[in-house]
Amino acid sequence: MQATTSLASPSTVAGTSPRALSRRLRRRRTRLGLLFVAPWIIGFLAFFVYPFFATLYYSFTDFNGVQQAHLIGFTNYVNLFHDPLFKTSLFNTFYYTACELPLSTVVALGLALLLNMDVKGRAIYRTIFYIPSIVPAVASCLIFVWIFNPASGIVNDILTGAHIPGPNWFFSIAWSKPSFILLGLWGLGQPMVIYLAGLQSVPHEMYEVVNLDGAKSWQRLWYVTLPMLTPVILFNVILQLVLCVAYFTQAQVIENADVGGPGTSTWFYVQYLYEQAFEYLKFGYSSAMAFFLFVISALIMVILFKTSSRWVYYASEQQ
Amino acid sequence: MNHRGGEAPDAVERSNGARSHGTKWLKRRRLAKVTTAIATAAVVSAVGMGSATVANASVVNLTWWTMWSGSTLQLLNQMTTQFNKTHPGIHVTEANIPSVATTSTAKLLSSIAAGDPPDIFTEWWPEIGEFAADGDLDSLTPFLTGQYRGFEKWEYPVAVQGGTYQNQLYAVPMGLNSWAVYYNKSIMAKAGITSPPKTLAELDADSAKEWVITNGKLQQLGIYPDTAGNGFLFYGSFFNALNCFNSAGKYDFESCKGAESLMNWIASFDKYPYAQVQALQTAVGSVAGGQTDMFTAGKQGFFLSGPWEGAQNIPQSGGKGLQGAFGVIPFPGTVGVPSTIGQGNFNIVPKGSAHPAQAFEFISWLAGYQNEAFMGSIDPKGGWVPGGPSVTKQPAYQAWLKANPWLDPFLPQMTSPYTQAPDLTPTQAQLFNAMNTATANVLQKIQTPAQALKYIDQQGNS
Repeated sequence: MQATTSLASPSTVAGTSPRALSRRLRRRRTRLGLLFVAPWIIGFLAFFVYPFFATLYYSFTDFNGVQQAHLIGFTNYVNLFHDPLFKTSLFNTFYYTACELPLSTVVALGLALLLNMDVKGRAIYRTIFYIPSIVPAVASCLIFVWIFNPASGIVNDILTGAHIPGPNWFFSIAWSKPSFILLGLWGLGQPMVIYLAGLQSVPHEMYEVVNLDGAKSWQRLWYVTLPMLTPVILFNVILQLVLCVAYFTQAQVIENADVGGPGTSTWFYVQYLYEQAFEYLKFGYSSAMAFFLFVISALIMVILFKTSSRWVYYASEQQ
Repeated sequence: MNHRGGEAPDAVERSNGARSHGTKWLKRRRLAKVTTAIATAAVVSAVGMGSATVANASVVNLTWWTMWSGSTLQLLNQMTTQFNKTHPGIHVTEANIPSVATTSTAKLLSSIAAGDPPDIFTEWWPEIGEFAADGDLDSLTPFLTGQYRGFEKWEYPVAVQGGTYQNQLYAVPMGLNSWAVYYNKSIMAKAGITSPPKTLAELDADSAKEWVITNGKLQQLGIYPDTAGNGFLFYGSFFNALNCFNSAGKYDFESCKGAESLMNWIASFDKYPYAQVQALQTAVGSVAGGQTDMFTAGKQGFFLSGPWEGAQNIPQSGGKGLQGAFGVIPFPGTVGVPSTIGQGNFNIVPKGSAHPAQAFEFISWLAGYQNEAFMGSIDPKGGWVPGGPSVTKQPAYQAWLKANPWLDPFLPQMTSPYTQAPDLTPTQAQLFNAMNTATANVLQKIQTPAQALKYIDQQGNS
């Protein structure tokens, strides 16, 4: 007598059709798959989806963070447009974004182009330019305040030595926002590295082809490098845009006790939102601010993506 | 023969063998389980007995959140230890929550919302009004019975005013601040000033002599109404400009004579370089762990500050030769002298505290109530004015006053009829921030005094 083994056909073992078994197997795999991604899904639901809808709900309420929230319709949104500091913070944030975004894109790209050149000690230069981006934001801020202090900082000492009157940097209404923009350029190592990776993925043959056509260096940049880099530029622009719109840490650290100062020249949107929530306990109002910021950011993103088809070149799509 | 499940006989045999072996193993496992259960029960009961012992002794555990570090934290630890020693029925655990004002507020709110707040929280003063208005605090008024019946009368009047919202006591200070003008004797001498000023006009004139700006760079300054965060608010009581309300109970600084005088006085400093003052303040404040200000750095001739300046800041920052070379005068404002703003570090009991009665017992003890001798020895170490005047009569406190004659102006101010504390309101934090911004705006000529007062009203009433 020959014993049957456990390797008998599925239909024999389970008494079901192969189709049903396949379905069962698929379900089992799905369950297993879901089980494995469950931590991420739970995190996403708890820390992204729920807060998003909670923010939307609270934006229509009078909520102090502890007591029961009361629905008040669009009052918070209406109040936003009667709040001068809201407008100031919105303006300051857009000012910063409008200056920082193009400037950081050009500077990071320029650095990446320079560091992509075949020069001696290239690895050292790359490291030097990348290092500032791994310095913690708070430490960078404290160093910046120190070296740009008009009373004791080295920058103004150097300028004075060159007979140039140094500005009052973070302490002056006229110079405070440019100072923050300058600080933003300090940590460009991250986008620079991404551009560098993008540059190295541009096919060498393309340069050979334009060289045969007698292209000059700026033509190589304009007709080959930049078009091939446009997906990377779009990616970096989006990342930088998010960072600019949500600008907070650096301003909070540098302004210290004089939040938004000098005057209201550096009241940034998220700082004001934070203050409304955690200092004034106006969680409903700050939720409205948060949702308003989300709508604006989403609109900018939509415009960016819609227009990207005109200036972003995806080689894979052409194939 | 078809063995269902496809288990081969040898496998069954192995399985039986294993089962036989497994039975023993199972028995052992059951035995182990039973043993573990007994052991666990023993441990749990032992712990339970321990708890029962604590419960029998009725020890109430309190948690106290504070925000200090350094020498102040050491003093708080001494106070907690002393309380625990003298109160066997209550045990206080002090938790240091190092943070800036807003993050500590966020932590407190989260704990209240989660139903697990600390029993006591030392609050930055501006938020008490909004906390009380939002129902985030336990009223302390119900505890003012029995041995605490006379508590409010025991406190300084400004301490009661600063802790009361809508006739309910919500906060008790463990230390009050009293503000006066420090002067640097050597800067005065170099400027040709022979004696400290007695009037506001004299202060302005003397101060103007002390400013030194070389090649456009600020080297030294006199009094300035926006150094180390001391703006409109901290000069408010000297001009009767703290509690400006209209008949509807709204802030009305625009129509307030005192506020107008104060803002005009602030505007008289717009000829000085605001940005450079702030830069110099930041430069000197970055050293010596933040204990240094422009006065302790020897760069400011007149400076508004409290007793801690002479008791802690000057000695701890090295003093730049200031030890024994400074004096203090009451600020000569437009109201009678002496006066000051009554404010300080208040303790509150968050809503949801498990033991509010014991928490109140602790915070009244911290204020010095029925604890005068101990607090009389602690307050001088921090450079604090106590919550009630009887503490200052204690030998240790008296010895401190006697050894430091520069302290003379601070205590009489606390009972002066001109001394005020800002009334607690739900929008106090907005008001105070608006006062700071308005001060800076006037000093930088961004706003006229009238515009600044309007701005304060607008923000304070929002």
